[in-house]
Parts: sequence; structure tokens; C-alpha cells
Amino acid sequence: MARRVTAIESLLVEKGLITSDVVDAVIETYERDVGPLNGARVVARAWVDEAYRGRLLDDGTQAIGELGFGGAEGEHLVVLENTPEVHNVVVCTLCSCYPWPVLGLPPRWYKSFAYRARMVREPRAVLTEFGTTLGDDVEVRVWDSSADVRYMVLPLRPDGADGLTEDDLVPFVTRDHMIGVVR
Amino acid sequence: MGGMHGFGPVIRDPSDRALDERPFHESWESRTFGLLVATSAKGLRTGSTRPAIEEIEPATYLASSYYERWARGLEAALVAGGSLTSAEVDARAATGEGRPTSSRATDPELAAAIRGFLNGSAPTSGEPVTAAFGVGDRVTVRRMAPVGHHRCPRYVRGVTGTIAAVNGGWPHPDADAPEAVYRVRFDMRDLWGDDAEPGALYIDLWERYLS
Repeated sequence: MARRVTAIESLLVEKGLITSDVVDAVIETYERDVGPLNGARVVARAWVDEAYRGRLLDDGTQAIGELGFGGAEGEHLVVLENTPEVHNVVVCTLCSCYPWPVLGLPPRWYKSFAYRARMVREPRAVLTEFGTTLGDDVEVRVWDSSADVRYMVLPLRPDGADGLTEDDLVPFVTRDHMIGVVR
Repeated sequence: MGGMHGFGPVIRDPSDRALDERPFHESWESRTFGLLVATSAKGLRTGSTRPAIEEIEPATYLASSYYERWARGLEAALVAGGSLTSAEVDARAATGEGRPTSSRATDPELAAAIRGFLNGSAPTSGEPVTAAFGVGDRVTVRRMAPVGHHRCPRYVRGVTGTIAAVNGGWPHPDADAPEAVYRVRFDMRDLWGDDAEPGALYIDLWERYLS
């Protein structure tokens, strides 16, 4: 496949249809500028600012846009709040849709057949593979992003994190928290 | 893929976490992604790659990696758009030549425009449309055997759930105008039987899929 892709790019460049610097720029954006750190900033803000949290849950796209994040695959972002009684986790069974502006491009396991097939059918079993065990008192909600809405989980603020600033809290938030495979 | 049985554990290589963090694991994967965005922005292909990917013959689909499927979708779309032929790609791929380094042509304006599109805000909450259903309504997903591209997974067909939200109107491949999309909540037992894990599944479905 590598040769085929190289061939496609070479042919398009030779025909004057595209230039390679354009391709380079796209790659650079997703290797350097757009990634889970964006989402972590959103979560940390929501943890320290109650009013922001409210806006985030009410209109995710708008509130995420306040921090300067948005764009492709983020035209309609919905943020799902984890609570002591509810745990949310996101999947796309049809193809692997993912909220790019806040999480970047998805990890390989998210796109795997195993994840796409099993998360909607046996979420708790899959979650234990990620080290996440939930009691029966917690409702597990699986979200299949089958249309144009893109989902991100707002994880629970860690215990003992009171008094930490927004910047201090950012490292606590991982991509796995925001997909929902980790609580 | 939803609910298809026979798949084992979700594989993540703990020794490869650093690799897992990167969006592209090999150079050709990153070029595939870059080409997809660039060719779309330049108008060399139209529409989504999903239809072409979904048409990949099942055995090939299951044996192909994510970016392999996208690369196939990219080639199919470019051929359909008339930019190249598969024969040309076959011939060039057979030479094993690398990318042309002698071409000095650049298009910084298009590069910047694409970066803006990828990063900038284009929010929407869907078009205002008449919605047949409202929050709380019980709905059943229609049974169907669609030909070609669609957005209704098999595992919810024939199952009854509850409208949790109305998402506004969104384009559908078979519709001329935006159509209402609903967030529907299903009890896991209604999807998978009495032995199912307790819990709920939420999925977004176009109105045409519901009754």
C-alpha cells in the first residue's frame, strides 16, 4: 500500500493537481497542533469554573470554541458528563468517527474491529481490559457516533484535587478519560 | 461492525505506548491522510470516502488496516473524479519510485487555507426541520436491507428505544434536504437479550430509519 500511496501522490504532483507542501501542512497540523491536550484544557477549565462547565454541557461546540478549538469533525460537539452514578464511553461502529478538534486523530485501538464490534455489546468487559471496573450502581452509557454529532466525555474531577489550578489539572486528563475507557 | 462476534481483546501494546500516541505509525499513513484532505480541498474528489470504503469486498475489508481502507477509498474517489486511472497507479507503484523531490512547486495559500479549515470554527447544530418525533417517544428502528451507503447499523434494526434528544436537520446521502436526526436510547437487554450487561446505548439516527 505504501508504494501505491506514493504513486498516487507522485502522479498528482506531476500532473500539477496538488503540491506536496499542502500534504505536508495537513500532516503537520495533526502531528503537532491538534491533539488530546486541547480536550484536556477544556476539561480542566470545566473542573475549576462551574459556569463554564454549565456552558460546556449545554453547547459543547460553543464552549470548546471559547478556548479556540474547533473545525473539522467538530462542527457539532456534545460533551457527556460522568457522575458518580453514570459512566459514558464513546465508539463509532460504522467507521471510527472521533472528535478531532479536542482529541486529534484516534489511536489505533479505537479504530480496531474488536473495539468497534464489542464496545456496543459488552462495554463493561471491554472496560476491564483497560483496567476500568465499574460497580452495578454505576450506569454505563455507550454512545455510538453514527451521525454528525461528535462526543467527548467530561470525566470526574479526581479526589483530592481541590486547590489545584487549572494548569495543574491539565495533566490529570488523558485521551482515554475523554473517550471514556478510563474513569 | 457493531455487535459482530468473534473478536478478541482490544489490542494495545504496552511497550508501544509511545507509538500508540502518534496519529500515524508509518509515513504512507500520514501521506494518505494528507492527500485525503488536500484532494478534497482542491476539488479533485467530492463527497465522503465512506461509500467507497463500505464497498470494499468484506474479506478484503476485514484484512485491511484502517489507513489501507482509506487509501483504497482515496484511489477510488480520484479515479471516479478523473484525476488518474488505476492503471497509471499500478504502473507507477510497480517502479517503487519515491516521491518526486525535484518538483519545487508549492501552494502555501492552499496549505494555509486548509490549516484554517482544520482548526477553525464552523459550528452548527443542524438545520431547523420539522421533526416527526419528540423527546420521550418510543420508536422502533425499521428493518431494512439498504443498497450502498447508509448510516443505520444492523445491531439496532428492529429494536425499540426512546427518543432522548432531537438533533436538528442534517444531510443524508439519499435525501435532497436536511432530515431530522434523533438521539435514541436503547436498553442493552433490548439489544442483546436478558443476559446482556446492564446499561444503555445511545445512537444518532435519521428520521427515515425510525417508525
